[in-house]
Amino acid sequence: MRSLRTLFSLSILSVSMIACGSSDESAVAPSTESPPSEAPATDAPTTVAPAEGVLNVPADYATIQEAVDAAAGGDLILIAPGTYREAVQVTTDNIVIRGLDRNTVIMDGNFEFDNGFRVVGASGVAIENMTAMNYTKNGFFWTGSNGYRGSYLTAWRNGDYGIYAFDSVGGLLEHSYAAGSPDAGFYIGQCFPCDAVIRNVIAEHNGLGYSGTNAGGNLIIVNSVFRNNRAGIVPNSGSYELCYPQRKTTIIGNQVYSNNQPDTPAIDVAILAMGNGILNAGGVQNVIERNRVWDHDKTGIGLVPFLEEDANDVIPGRDAWETDCAAQKQLMPVIPDGPLLWDSHDNEVLGNVLEDNRRADIAVGSAGTNLWELGNCFEDNTFSTSAPLDLETLAPCGSPLSESTGDWLAGDLNVITWLVDAETAPPSVDWKTASLPDIPQLENMPDAATAPATPASAVPPAIDLASIVVPDKID
Amino acid sequence: MTSIRRAIRGLLVVLALVVVASSCASDPRDVRESAHDHVSMLVDSAAVMGAPDRPIAGPQGAVGQFVVECPFSHALPDDPIVHPGEPGASHMHVFFGNTGANADSTLASLLAHGTTCEQALDTASYWAPALYHDDVMLIPEKSVAYYRAGLEVDPASVVAFPAGLSMIAGDPRAVEPQPASVVAWSCGNGAAREQMPPSCPSGRGLRLDVTFPDCWDGDHLDVVGHREHMRYSSGGRCPSTHPVHVPQLIFSVAYSFAGDPMGLKLASGGVLTGHADFVNSWDQDKLEDEVKYCLQRDVVCGVTSGRVSG
Repeated sequence: MRSLRTLFSLSILSVSMIACGSSDESAVAPSTESPPSEAPATDAPTTVAPAEGVLNVPADYATIQEAVDAAAGGDLILIAPGTYREAVQVTTDNIVIRGLDRNTVIMDGNFEFDNGFRVVGASGVAIENMTAMNYTKNGFFWTGSNGYRGSYLTAWRNGDYGIYAFDSVGGLLEHSYAAGSPDAGFYIGQCFPCDAVIRNVIAEHNGLGYSGTNAGGNLIIVNSVFRNNRAGIVPNSGSYELCYPQRKTTIIGNQVYSNNQPDTPAIDVAILAMGNGILNAGGVQNVIERNRVWDHDKTGIGLVPFLEEDANDVIPGRDAWETDCAAQKQLMPVIPDGPLLWDSHDNEVLGNVLEDNRRADIAVGSAGTNLWELGNCFEDNTFSTSAPLDLETLAPCGSPLSESTGDWLAGDLNVITWLVDAETAPPSVDWKTASLPDIPQLENMPDAATAPATPASAVPPAIDLASIVVPDKID
Repeated sequence: MTSIRRAIRGLLVVLALVVVASSCASDPRDVRESAHDHVSMLVDSAAVMGAPDRPIAGPQGAVGQFVVECPFSHALPDDPIVHPGEPGASHMHVFFGNTGANADSTLASLLAHGTTCEQALDTASYWAPALYHDDVMLIPEKSVAYYRAGLEVDPASVVAFPAGLSMIAGDPRAVEPQPASVVAWSCGNGAAREQMPPSCPSGRGLRLDVTFPDCWDGDHLDVVGHREHMRYSSGGRCPSTHPVHVPQLIFSVAYSFAGDPMGLKLASGGVLTGHADFVNSWDQDKLEDEVKYCLQRDVVCGVTSGRVSG
């Protein structure tokens, strides 16, 4: 696996080296004189030599957009500290766009511009070490990309999502922060297999910390913090976008706590999901393992159905769960007669440590389907409450579930009452004016001024899942 | 449609207009407008533009698109396309996007104004007849403008609307249900497209969905009657008379209104008279970029927001 990956990345790099002619207008970076840094900021593939083109903003180009338009594959755009009122569109493959200082290179949408960066159908684009705020849509957005990376990014007070990849595969989002979005701070949507990693990120004061509608397949969310959102990690299925159901996401080694925040901006789903740490809403075949989850009004880890009232297509059967996203796009939807209930199936909840989740630490619920028929299992968790009661006895992993393992109705989860709760939950607060923590001063990318350009390979880094332990509690 | 059927339809339209005009005789403005549109109806009809092969709905994400959401801007009894220079001459319209649209608007004047849209460079003007419930005008929450290639149209062939292009979709004088592929009602983000307003549940309010033509004659920004320069594609092709593939604009006006649709009517007449108007006063460079990067490359450049409003 590892050697294959290296081979693949080397071949990608050699192609991009050939493809990237130096831009006449670009300055030569001082960094070309220094040896390549031994440990780049990420363990994405290492460049074998410094990129030729470095385009400085504003020294060489007055705006980021001008620099992006002038860049060729393999080029590095270096942005000096300052406030940039732009909505930058990126359509060139394999360019790297980097702020010299994460906390003082500020993209400001001024509540007028839609996306800080929108990478449109371009592959291999990496964005690093800067802040985007006050955009009406998203801080950082990739769509239709094969290979993407966001590192050391801060997204604060944006109208839909903080950091967002849609219909894109082969991604890495890392060392980043998102706050103040009514939808999700981090969102990977509409991909299967996604081949993506989210690691070492913090999401707080969003409607949802993470949303992954119809996204999965080698998708890993690891070593991250989701706190003080309405709800923490909420992958879901729905026919409003393609590639349903949501499948095969691994959520591992995260700290998820206090996601009951009443004063955030919030879409309807966030209000409905409020008070839950990890809420699997109609997802299937996900693995939720070795997370520490505490202080939630409802569930720590809940597997629940997702009610879709405005459904666009019927729910695919189990035989379609291996269908990839590209193939599903070719299918003609069939409008169902009524609302859909996407049940959570075949998920595994393993070795998590949970406390003080007031409805239940671990839970599974439906609205009409026998729970043992859903195939979700729970094992080796440290917890004190569950719904139904004795959930680990009822639903152990590794053997087929049946009605006979115990009383599935005792203390079961009544998710229908959540619809009622949502009616009286604290309403959404306008995202433009919501009270948020000040933008934190966060860790900079190492050697931002000199690190070579590393375009985003279509292969995310391998994560050693076996070595991940339950993280400590944060007080 | 045969010429005989067309003549019968024309007669029906005239009869209906007489009924409409007499029923509104207490309001001289309505009479004048009906008479005006009566004349233009005999010259041009919405039906000459054709219709898409089927209603366009379903999950977002299958085809390239860009989407602009624009909160309600203002309401005026003006129509910059049908009644230019005649303030107050139209039925009541609700305007979205450009904040300065009125009867005296020109491309230059529109370009000098701002927009309610979340995309600040979309300074285009969009409007539709106001919707009333028991004679109380409903203030829409927002509009959503979806720009896509027409059904089965080669996306690479689509070019931006020329600056100043003006067009109307739907028939403000319709007396029978219009094709749902042109004018439809729906609830929330649902895919069902109804010819009559359905009873929508609370939280998933009523929408009016109007699909504009996607073939342009390549010559006229507007014409007398406002119809002859545009056609709908069929089978992915534009007619030879209107050979230029432009984006298909699907314009959706979202209301919070839910419940019994009895008592609803449009300012243009009953609920059958759905229509919408568009003047391309986008920042032209931005529009051309959106078409080039999102439609021609078939990339989903955005989907509608999960936010209900604001």
